[in-house]
Amino acid sequence: MKNKSTQTKKNCMNEWLNDCMKNLIHSSIHTIILISVFTSFSFAQFKLPEYEKTILENGITLYLMEQHEVPLIYVSAVFPAGAIWDETQSGLAAFTADALLFGSKNYTKQQIDETFDFLGASISSYAEKERAVIKMSCKKSDLDALLPIFIDVITRPVFPKEEIEKRKQRWLAELEQDKQSPRRVILSYFNKFLFDQNVYGNPVDGTQSSIKEITSEDVAGFFGMHYLHTFTGIAVVGDFSTDEMKTKMISMLPKVPSLERLNLMKDINKDISRLDGNRVLLVNKDDSRETTFLIGGYGVAWNNKDLIKIEVVNTILGGRFTSWLNDELRINAGLTYGAKSTFNTYRQAGTFYISTFTATENTVEAIDLALKVLDRLHTEGIDAEALLSAKNYIKGQFPPDYETSGNLADLLTTMFFYGLDDSYINDFEKNVGEMTVEEANKIAKRYFPKENLQFVLIGKADEIRDKVKKYGKVIEKNINEIGF
Amino acid sequence: MKHFFLFFLLTISILPQTKVEDIKTFTLKNGMKIIVLEDHSIPNANMYLFWKVGSRNEYPGITGISHFFEHMMFNGAKKYGPKQFDITMEASGGSNNASTSENLTVYTDWFPSSSLEVIFDLEADRIASLSFDDKMIESERGVILSERSTGLENYPLWELWEQVQAASFYAHPYHWPVIGYESDIKNWTKKDLETYFHTYYSPNNCVVVIAGDVMLDSVKSLSEKYFEPIATGPPPRELHTVEPEQKGEKIVNINRDVPAPYVMLAYHVPQTNFADYYALSLLESILSSGNTSRLYKNLVDDRQLAIEVSTDFSYAFDPFLFIIYGICNKGINPEFLEKAILTELDKIIKDGIKPEELQKVKNQKLMDFYHTMETINGKARNIGNYEMFFGNYKKMFSAPQDFAKVTAEDIQRVAKKYFTADNRTVGFLQSSESEKEEIK
Repeated sequence: MKNKSTQTKKNCMNEWLNDCMKNLIHSSIHTIILISVFTSFSFAQFKLPEYEKTILENGITLYLMEQHEVPLIYVSAVFPAGAIWDETQSGLAAFTADALLFGSKNYTKQQIDETFDFLGASISSYAEKERAVIKMSCKKSDLDALLPIFIDVITRPVFPKEEIEKRKQRWLAELEQDKQSPRRVILSYFNKFLFDQNVYGNPVDGTQSSIKEITSEDVAGFFGMHYLHTFTGIAVVGDFSTDEMKTKMISMLPKVPSLERLNLMKDINKDISRLDGNRVLLVNKDDSRETTFLIGGYGVAWNNKDLIKIEVVNTILGGRFTSWLNDELRINAGLTYGAKSTFNTYRQAGTFYISTFTATENTVEAIDLALKVLDRLHTEGIDAEALLSAKNYIKGQFPPDYETSGNLADLLTTMFFYGLDDSYINDFEKNVGEMTVEEANKIAKRYFPKENLQFVLIGKADEIRDKVKKYGKVIEKNINEIGF
Repeated sequence: MKHFFLFFLLTISILPQTKVEDIKTFTLKNGMKIIVLEDHSIPNANMYLFWKVGSRNEYPGITGISHFFEHMMFNGAKKYGPKQFDITMEASGGSNNASTSENLTVYTDWFPSSSLEVIFDLEADRIASLSFDDKMIESERGVILSERSTGLENYPLWELWEQVQAASFYAHPYHWPVIGYESDIKNWTKKDLETYFHTYYSPNNCVVVIAGDVMLDSVKSLSEKYFEPIATGPPPRELHTVEPEQKGEKIVNINRDVPAPYVMLAYHVPQTNFADYYALSLLESILSSGNTSRLYKNLVDDRQLAIEVSTDFSYAFDPFLFIIYGICNKGINPEFLEKAILTELDKIIKDGIKPEELQKVKNQKLMDFYHTMETINGKARNIGNYEMFFGNYKKMFSAPQDFAKVTAEDIQRVAKKYFTADNRTVGFLQSSESEKEEIK
């Protein structure tokens, strides 16, 4: 919200419409593209920079990548400690990740905060649906002062009761605050509506009732179960020498493996129920002047072999400014500031959704138009010109995603967590380049839902209730009700 | 703590690879200034066009037109008709965005460097011969109403910000919001747009920054080919309205159903190119940057009075605002939070700041500088901002030293000078029936 006074053409929706696959896009060389005349562009190729990967004796996987452009160092650590493991305590994973910075065996919260702040460095931690991530960045010259703290935080946190209680109280107020913004909470409603009792429906930040019950012991217990060496990946990227950094990391990290109690996916609920017809979740917010909505269904998991091709097709449907959705809903109809479609990809599941918002009185017009565009993908299909443009766009926008050492550290931990090897990045060009129109249309038919659509609408229920019945069975909630 | 100071001195001498002399500039015959930074770290480049026009150049009846105009720049010109700007750019591997503030309208293109000429062609076309299609105007009007509505819908703070800023300025055009009043958005005409275009979109009112995988010579020849033939117009009239000195605290109250009240304090401060900028900027960091900042540490973390406290001290051509805002924690009334914020400001006015506190925020500024210099986008954006607001892009490179010169006394002095009751506007946003529990 920094400097709210700046208005922009089209980037207001990033916080909830982020596309998790965007970061796996690559550039290629020498492509001929068609606009209105034939024009040739050559794209230079992005290569994954060299790095060293070592599995340490304690079980931790360590990635080291030298980048000497600026005198900075980034460290990123990833753990299987996301919301899918919350079990009955919704929000426990996210709370635990947050609480890592409340103090460790050798450093109090105050010492951690003061040391990082004083040096202008940063440390942060958060949990997502499947993983928890703790990161730091600093000047090269400050690493020796900060790395011991970082390692203490991820291996020996102490979760003091007083800090836990303080944070809980603010967390509850924040949850209430979040419901003021439909944009901030609509994905939690959608995931819960779609996955129901399955763990992928767990709201990452928990609910008023679940957060209230969390204790310091719960947090410590969750840490003990999930921050395990065998499943930990740490990436260090920046201005250092690999040999020296490796010695340094080994000397600071625990010598022996942690006790392994987690059989990663074995203990979680993997059963995802089949969808049976269209359904509408209508969430009433009395003071709404617009309707915020998502339309979608199941998507694909990370291990899907067509992932990159799906991304190319999604670029055409709703992944850029000239996408069909934005073109129809924004540019032609003036119904919204922006419309797009997204695939969110997890280890064993995924979601697809169209997302936008419009004035209350235009709700049906906007939904009808979005459905018409989705249908066009199945009936009319994709032609050669659209495909070529999307390929060029994806390739051309790829290199800036990996421009900084921080971007590269994130990439390495993502590759570790989702079991991707270099070929995932290095075959990207081939996969995108070789994609044919026929293939694109097959992908569209196979992965973009046509039926069993799940609608989530947040808005003024009294004004739209009767009109949205036509989309499917309507289930109603009030935004003030606890949870999603 | 003494040895930390040594770190700071050392790091100045190992600044990132880009040096001031790497940046080249030239001015075309029509007055358009071009700034170029060759940086071949990735095969991409960007083009930023900084136009010296924003909502401060508007007047009642056409408020928001700078921003509307920014949208219209994507809706068709002579060679590239409606939609063709975006279609052509994305098919060439590029993307773009634009933003409008009170002071500037900035257009940005990010593209593979092999598409440089296409970008020049696209930009030159819309600058030289933008067209105003009636149908596009009407559809874009709907887009802007949606943009305004979605901001108000999702961010109560937006509503408070508009009102506090409006109350702070009664004479200067900073009075109205960048997005404009709803009634103006619904009523501006094609003629208003055409007049605006001819007044402000003349090449001599623009600075272009190009950074990335480009060669100076080719940028020069493409600039001469595409931008130089664009006819120049008379320079727009300078804005001469000066906001009279505020002579007493102003209070704004807004009723909106929110779970917790919002508080905002706004103090008038000088424009960016005024000498106090560096001290005020460091003061801002002392107040709100990081977990050990005064407001976060004392009000959010220790005393649990707020769930969020933040500040804003934006670049501006004319004297603008130093803003502090907070969202109350459960059971805290907004007047209580306001008093707690004022107490923190008073502590600085009365007791000043500690030497290590000053060193901390200087270290943070240096780290911010490094992060800016990590990407070609950060470099281009900051080169342009320094050129526009500080009068010279070279100031970006001396910023670490300019911050280093600020003393603890300077910070206490600016706090005392600007954080006065008479210079303040306070805003509250809360539910009308909200119970104001007294805090014991």
